[in-house]
Amino acid sequence: MDRNRLHNQVASMRRSLFDQLEELQDDTNPNFVQEVVTLFYNDSTRLIQNIEQALNSRPIDFCKLDDYMHQFKGSSSSIGAKKVTNECTAFREYCNAENAEGCIRSFQQVKQEHAILKRKLEVYLQTVRQASQTA
Amino acid sequence: MNPSNGNGSMSTASSSGAWDGRDQFPAGLRVLVVDDDPTCLMIFEKMLKACLYQVTKCNKAETALSVLREHKNEFDIVISDVHMPDMDGFELLKHITSEMDLPVILISADARKQVVMEGVTYGACDYLIKPVRIETLKNIWQHVVRKKARNTV
Repeated sequence: MDRNRLHNQVASMRRSLFDQLEELQDDTNPNFVQEVVTLFYNDSTRLIQNIEQALNSRPIDFCKLDDYMHQFKGSSSSIGAKKVTNECTAFREYCNAENAEGCIRSFQQVKQEHAILKRKLEVYLQTVRQASQTA
Repeated sequence: MNPSNGNGSMSTASSSGAWDGRDQFPAGLRVLVVDDDPTCLMIFEKMLKACLYQVTKCNKAETALSVLREHKNEFDIVISDVHMPDMDGFELLKHITSEMDLPVILISADARKQVVMEGVTYGACDYLIKPVRIETLKNIWQHVVRKKARNTV
């Protein structure tokens, strides 16, 4: 009973978090969503750190910032993280205008949404692990 | 040939020459996908495989170019991200259009009109905005057919 409950929980989390990714998971690659999530989790954390560093350096290299944020936006949108993606778009506008203050403020929003997403991803991965242990 | 980003999960393109996939059309379409972002590359590969295409993935434009040069007749279409550190998608596109007769689709999270315009002007047969949905990829075979039809005129 516990096992079924966990598996159902995983399935419904997957559906609500990643609608397109969920469609891609199948029997030939049953861990696909988990793999992508793990990959994104690690990669996005790295990108956030790079952006933070770039924002702290003086003078600010807006080109580099835009590069990082562009990549971050690309992968966030690909896994379906809409809120993070939207904050990235807002950030890039400040970046294009070379508005340092705007960038710093906007980045706080990006970090916040990313932190919320990370927590959801952590819970998802934890539940997946638990479910596989009871399998 | 090992252009993938090191995790060994790469499918090699067939060496039988031109793809004409009569019966299972468009299954078996030989696609080279290039993106330096590992998350995107992984998702693309999965989506393309779900379309029953034969997928080779690369995380560097330079590598993609040498793969294409060495295995000229083993690909039907190239899908490339625009924003890459070593060589960007536009440069890759220019090389491919001048050296080979392959359709190239550009992909980017950048939806700005001037960038899309540049891609199209340089010869991209399509420009897709991330996130790309699998339904879009199911239709890319038309670019291969269209190019072949133009070439035989």
